[in-house]
Amino acid sequence: MREMIKMVVVLSCICGVAGAALAFLKDGTAVKIEEQVLTFVQGPAIKNVFADYDNDPIMDRKKFDVPGTDAKVTVFPYMKGGKLLAVAMEDFGGGFGDDIGVMVGFDANEDKLIGIGITTSKETPGVGTRVAEPGFTKQFKGHATAGVELSSKGGDISGVSGATFSSIGSVIAVQNAVKKYDTLKQEIQGAW
Amino acid sequence: MGMWKEFSKGLWAELPPFRLVLGLCPTLAVTKTANNGLGMGAAVIFVLVLSNLFIASVRKIIPKKVRIVCFIVIAASLVVSVELLMQAFSYPLYQQLGIFVPLIVVNCVILGRAEAFAGKNPILLSAADGLGMGIGFTMSLTFLGAIREIFGSGMLFDKPFMWEGYEPFTFMIEAPGAFVCLGLILAAMNFQTAWQAKRKGTDPVVIRCSECAACEVGAKDE
Repeated sequence: MREMIKMVVVLSCICGVAGAALAFLKDGTAVKIEEQVLTFVQGPAIKNVFADYDNDPIMDRKKFDVPGTDAKVTVFPYMKGGKLLAVAMEDFGGGFGDDIGVMVGFDANEDKLIGIGITTSKETPGVGTRVAEPGFTKQFKGHATAGVELSSKGGDISGVSGATFSSIGSVIAVQNAVKKYDTLKQEIQGAW
Repeated sequence: MGMWKEFSKGLWAELPPFRLVLGLCPTLAVTKTANNGLGMGAAVIFVLVLSNLFIASVRKIIPKKVRIVCFIVIAASLVVSVELLMQAFSYPLYQQLGIFVPLIVVNCVILGRAEAFAGKNPILLSAADGLGMGIGFTMSLTFLGAIREIFGSGMLFDKPFMWEGYEPFTFMIEAPGAFVCLGLILAAMNFQTAWQAKRKGTDPVVIRCSECAACEVGAKDE
């Protein structure tokens, strides 16, 4: 009996100390990790979407509340000479593997997309991952924000052959981003 | 004197991947480049030294029946810490190593040294043992990574190494190349041991399972 109590106490103490230490460390590194993730995961996609800017979209990013939900969305601005040219925001759509993360770029002055970039995906290499290739993504450049849909559903975006779910997921992500942008357009255009 | 012996055995005589043949999973998987091998080795040094240190400091209060569980909790917490620190300070390395960072928990070197050494030896000796094994592990991984990177992509530490127009032997970067490379290194080390024993006139040491002290397999019960 005495032995059993000792085992329980020692094990609980060790687990308690471990849990506390890890929670402390996670809190302490949370800000740094967020910065790093933005630089290395979203960063390349942000650069892919639009290239003609002279600010740092990640440093100048702002968070907006999405009306009607509890969600917030981070918007990255592209500016040149202090003037807002375009913005990018990340959204998600269910692909073949998990959600596909898509960075969607919007022209700040007209209702057009300036392009997309894939941030995170767990799609099949060589098949679903081809949604990240220019062959697919260039269809979004200059596209109107309304009417983004796959040609198989009546729209004008051709999916990647053999990667139905990945194509659908990417398009859904873009549609979600468009919905958020439409509700936040006024706020966004006045924020920088 | 005791500390140096414990520290130095991990550097050659009991080199974890090539002599104890422990921790082969990361050895094969992350050594596509020398840099990745070095990064993984650094993470393992961190976990191994601290794990040996903590386990040696609580070895007298851990009841024998739950000791493996306690070792694993300590090792796993350290691995999560190293993961968080890597994400915060060295994200590209974290992206390269991927799933093999969390897999450090089940790296046989960690649990093997905890059970075979840190569970029964004083704090400073255990730390020295962990440091020696960790550095030996890092050197082995960096060496294997360097060989695979040089022949498989013509570069070393991401800088061009081979002559212009070198056709990379991409087999070396793929999984089968890792196995072949490891096998050749093991063969070379065994050959060196046998040759050295012959020169000294002693029999080449045939280590029986219970004499190795890397883990407790085959050890007589106390």
